Amino acid sequence: MKIVFILSLFISFLFSHPHTFIDVYPTVKIKSEATTTLNFKWILDDMTSSILVMELDKNGNGKIDENENSHIYSEYFSIFKEYDYYTYIIVNGKNIKLPKPENFRATIQNNKICYSFDIKLNNNIKDIVFEFGDSSYYVGMILKAKFVDANGLSIKISKVDNDIYYGYRLELR
Amino acid sequence: MEIYNKFLHTLVEWQYELNSYISTTIRSLNDESSLSTSIFILGIAFIYGLIHAAGPGHGKALVALYFTSNQSAYTKAFKMGYMISIIHAISALIFTFGIFFILKTMFRNNFNEFSDIAMLISAIMIILVGLYLMYEAYSGRKYKERKVEKSSKSEVAVAFSAGIVPCPGVMTIVLFCIVLGQFTLGILAAIAMSVGMGLTISLAGIFSIALRKRAGGFLNEKTYILEMIGGLVIFSLGVFLLLATSSLFSSRIHY
Repeated sequence: MKIVFILSLFISFLFSHPHTFIDVYPTVKIKSEATTTLNFKWILDDMTSSILVMELDKNGNGKIDENENSHIYSEYFSIFKEYDYYTYIIVNGKNIKLPKPENFRATIQNNKICYSFDIKLNNNIKDIVFEFGDSSYYVGMILKAKFVDANGLSIKISKVDNDIYYGYRLELR
Repeated sequence: MEIYNKFLHTLVEWQYELNSYISTTIRSLNDESSLSTSIFILGIAFIYGLIHAAGPGHGKALVALYFTSNQSAYTKAFKMGYMISIIHAISALIFTFGIFFILKTMFRNNFNEFSDIAMLISAIMIILVGLYLMYEAYSGRKYKERKVEKSSKSEVAVAFSAGIVPCPGVMTIVLFCIVLGQFTLGILAAIAMSVGMGLTISLAGIFSIALRKRAGGFLNEKTYILEMIGGLVIFSLGVFLLLATSSLFSSRIHY
């Protein structure tokens, strides 16, 4: 039985452990009774960025041009859809599907790769709970209060330790 | 399980801090930087390896299973942990430097591909180790004296299967150093990290040996049954890895 126990303990977490960290910067852009628009800025960690830059900044001019941006969107960013962009939206206790990210823009800031995109939701922000985490445990999503621009709302950040992912929960009230 | 989840979450946060600390420090290095800064970075890399290996993966399962099902002294666990470290460091360096210099611009795509192939090789090796252990347990069930000869051979096999897959964490640090032109530091950092990881893996081995020692007399009488189960479980682990790796081939993205 001990062997079975050890095995089941390890096997469920066999593959991964964060190799890349993403700082999540949410900004509340529009908040009304019926709609909410947030901008998310992901800042990839320095090491991952320095390696990715070699590939993403194809002409090596130190910035992401328009055609490089489209390439990154289609070849890199849109693939995160499979992972729900590591972003989970819960409205009144129920998970809802993440709307398609809009206005995607990749930039390089202080040697780090940044992905910026907007999410529009047809809900009052006070009914929404955001969670950030990677179920494959490959990416560490990091959220801190100082990353959040809440546009006057109060911020509540807590840790999420469910069996699917480890991450952070954000509530804006 | 809740405690384990909390533990993992804390590990993520520690690694996040260390990761950013290492990159900032390496970036601040220049020609005039002192030796002590480099040694300091290596110290951090060692701790990073120690914590990194405490997370899931890294052959701890394999090592734990091996020692749970095979009678061994505590020193064996250290030997095993360090065999894995050495194999791992060499493999990570060969992969990183090889791919970087041969296929500079296509690094990321190829890294994923090579990493998958390495994982596949590892899975097949784990399956073979499992089969080998079962065969040994079966054929050696009446001849206990053959054990000593057997175990050193299978230990190398276990260490090899666990260490051959280069950890992307180590490869990232090495590559970061290469990109910034700090070649020697990159190599030393990979070694420091691997040594840290080896220590954690050794501890997993020691834990398993202690577990087995406590199970006591009955198990010693029926050693071959336990070895057989251990072999079977390792075999299944390999099959699981193989299946998971093949599914990764079709949907592999990390960034």
